[in-house]
Amino acid sequence: MLKRHGVLPGFSITLGFTVLYLSLIVLIPLSATFLKAATLGWTGFWNAITEPRVLASYKLTFGASLAGALINAGFGLLVAWVLVRYEFFGKKLIDALVDLPFALPTAVAGISLATLYSGKGWAGQFFTPLGIKIAYTPLGVVVALTFIGLPFVVRTVQPILEDFEAELEEAAASLGATRWQTFSRVILPALLPALLTGFALAFARAVGEYGSVIFIAGNIPMVSEITPLLIITKLEQYDYAGATALAVSMLLVSFVLLLSINALQRWSQLRRT
Amino acid sequence: MSITIRNIQKSFGQFKALKNINLEIGAGELVALLGPSGCGKTTLLRIIAGLETPDTGVILFHGENTTHMHVRDRHVGFVFQHYALFRHMTVFENIAFGLRVRPKETRPSDAEIRRKVHDLLNLVQLDWLADRYPAQLSGGQRQRIALARALAVEPKVLLLDEPFGALDAKVRKELRRWLRRLHDELHITSVFVTHDQEEALEVADRVVVLNEGQIEQIGTPDEVYDHPATPFVYQFLGDVNLFHGRVHEGQARIGDVQLELPGSPERRDSAVFYARPHEIDILREPDGQAAIAAQIIDIRALGATVRVELERQDDHGIVEVEMSRDQFNSKDLDRGESVYLQPKRLRVFAERNGEENLGSAA
Amino acid sequence: MSAIAAPSVPARRVNVEPLPVRWLLIGLALLFLVGFLFLPLAVVFGQAFSKGWSVYWAALVEPNALAAIRLTLTAALIAVPLNMVFGLAAAWSIAKFEFPGKSLLITLIDLPFSVSPVVSGLIYVLLFGLHGWLGPWLHEHDIQLIFAVPGIVLATIFVTFPFVARELIPLMQSQGTEEEEAAMVLGASGWQTFWHVTLPNVKWGLLYGVILCNARAMGEFGAVSVVSGHIRGLTNTIPLHVEILYNEYNTAAAFAVASLLAMLALVTLAAKTALEWRLKQQATQSTPLA
Repeated sequence: MLKRHGVLPGFSITLGFTVLYLSLIVLIPLSATFLKAATLGWTGFWNAITEPRVLASYKLTFGASLAGALINAGFGLLVAWVLVRYEFFGKKLIDALVDLPFALPTAVAGISLATLYSGKGWAGQFFTPLGIKIAYTPLGVVVALTFIGLPFVVRTVQPILEDFEAELEEAAASLGATRWQTFSRVILPALLPALLTGFALAFARAVGEYGSVIFIAGNIPMVSEITPLLIITKLEQYDYAGATALAVSMLLVSFVLLLSINALQRWSQLRRT
Repeated sequence: MSITIRNIQKSFGQFKALKNINLEIGAGELVALLGPSGCGKTTLLRIIAGLETPDTGVILFHGENTTHMHVRDRHVGFVFQHYALFRHMTVFENIAFGLRVRPKETRPSDAEIRRKVHDLLNLVQLDWLADRYPAQLSGGQRQRIALARALAVEPKVLLLDEPFGALDAKVRKELRRWLRRLHDELHITSVFVTHDQEEALEVADRVVVLNEGQIEQIGTPDEVYDHPATPFVYQFLGDVNLFHGRVHEGQARIGDVQLELPGSPERRDSAVFYARPHEIDILREPDGQAAIAAQIIDIRALGATVRVELERQDDHGIVEVEMSRDQFNSKDLDRGESVYLQPKRLRVFAERNGEENLGSAA
Repeated sequence: MSAIAAPSVPARRVNVEPLPVRWLLIGLALLFLVGFLFLPLAVVFGQAFSKGWSVYWAALVEPNALAAIRLTLTAALIAVPLNMVFGLAAAWSIAKFEFPGKSLLITLIDLPFSVSPVVSGLIYVLLFGLHGWLGPWLHEHDIQLIFAVPGIVLATIFVTFPFVARELIPLMQSQGTEEEEAAMVLGASGWQTFWHVTLPNVKWGLLYGVILCNARAMGEFGAVSVVSGHIRGLTNTIPLHVEILYNEYNTAAAFAVASLLAMLALVTLAAKTALEWRLKQQATQSTPLA
């Protein structure tokens, strides 16, 4: 059914401006990138995105993003649970601070994490005796990507947990379920769509992340060099074709992730109503 | 100011919301647009207001074509179903809004606006709420503030979309009497939309019954209730019992039962007869061939009236009968008893949406 | 932080874990948050003041730092209002009207969020850079966008593009069109309706979007890094200045400048929390009583 445009004015001008601005800022530059990649030809493109150094960077980027997102899925769920279910001193403050990774510029997070988790850093010093090096290794990349993805799972799970009907848990308890059974069979399945959405959001954010990673990563080619950094490296070497090919491969991954997240969110909403 | 509605049609995509509507509303009249949801009544009201443009047809205000006039310039008062009070403004500012947005030349002075708003607040008896925000009001209060806001611009026409729809039953009754009194005081040509037949019959001077985008009947409350033009109007305006049968030599034949149906000349092999619950008598003994055997399956007392549910013995159809408590007590009926039904009044309609005839039986 | 584990709702006994379990869960969550949130934040201020107040102050008033602050403010001052106007226009057309392709449009508006910051900068280099599509033409006319301020502004606009729009679209959608229609019936013009009815109704959501947009605009690193060229005193923003200082092992100065951004983040969080509270109030207020 077509809605009443009836009396409200300004439809053409606002929609026109929206589409124009969107095209100028987003769509045209993005298309130009794809066009540029097309000039490489298929073999050129394929060779550019499959050279060993690039493959190693994919492995690190996706592997560390996955690890970070998994850590966040677990601890994010825990943090959301604790924030919703329990009362403790400083809860409100902690709740507000969970969004810090959204608000803190990535460069600041990067230098801070690098200092914190270096061999002599406040946190790093506890790992040195164990023979674990965090900063300037792939482990450091995981730490940075955990940091920047932290709010996603908490913020997607939290509202679902808040709205969760107490009656469902009471019903499970009255039917003889233990607390753990109630959690794993009643609560967790209800949280699953949101948890997956949060996980996917954290993963998607981590894959493209640059600022918070480069300071802590060490950036050793083949070992701790992430794909976004490799794009910049190629750009600085005037290898525009290589940079473009890498960018397009990352864009394609982003789009696939965006579509899956949209689908997840629809599923999540369906489950809520 | 009179309103003339001529050949109005409106579609939303594939959906035909209004099919060729013609309607005259006299100056100072209070008219109800009555119909089930989706019948097009709100669309018609929005077209009169200018919130919607018709695909074809014209709207005249006092003979002047307003079809293409902007809603701003029509000087109508519109009360929205959910009131649409501006939530960030006080009650006072809500009512003053229509005056404040006028161009400088015609805008009243601040003092005059204040006087006028307070007059209106007195009119709706809510002067003490001037500084509240809409969220702090009850549903009935919001409704009256919405009305005061609409009246502030001195509209020549007042349009109300389901004015009592969002209120609970008791407030609704109070408010509709109040609206009727207010209309008698102000005499503004008013149109309101409702799906509640009781509301339409109680408040309006005339009722326009709509169904599937068409007008089924226009008439005074008595006319539409006592002489429904179509089976739809009959069923929509109250509970009804249907009897399938035929018409033969001026008699209604329902199963083996024959009932007099004076003035029905034609013979009809298949007919549907309509009788309202209070138009059927329950008899202990059969009255010749003019009664239908049935068994009482349920009795429910609803305040002053009693509703008896019966199952016909011939085709096991369910019939509802309503009577006063006194009548019920004098009859001394019990669940499970076998009794006889005698319609005091039956109506039969021709197939093509016209009332062919109606008659009283026995 | 002492943890007094009490159930949120005392009445619901069956829904509550035993006390030791609660303490364990709270403890684990806090440990995680300390390692990943509080310590990183504390490190910034700890390092910033590690060499004393005078070193801290000197790092901030040094000419290159001041130039970076100026450039960051300039970029935010251009990007935020533009994206605000865009957000209002997009939300108005999407929330108040029906048209085909609407959900595609919403997805496209969100697109910049899913693009890597580095790629966000790169697309402008490929368009306006010397080797880009329009590069030769721009070079002929002596216009430099990349490795110059306009490129920084463009990249900032791109990465903050969706913030205001995505706050306003759902908010305006949930508010419907009845109040606007009521204003029009009462004789208000389109502009009056927008100004007196629509805008006051979305003002908190708008402010929320603007604050988030501003935080990202001032803090963006990756995208700006690609288009900036890192010319000290000219094309360095605050985050880029932090990077340079840090890479020169001038740690105290790097963290001193970084602490400015950390304070901006804290102010943003405080404002965000306050606004979320307001928005919640507004949402409960707008549900009809009857």
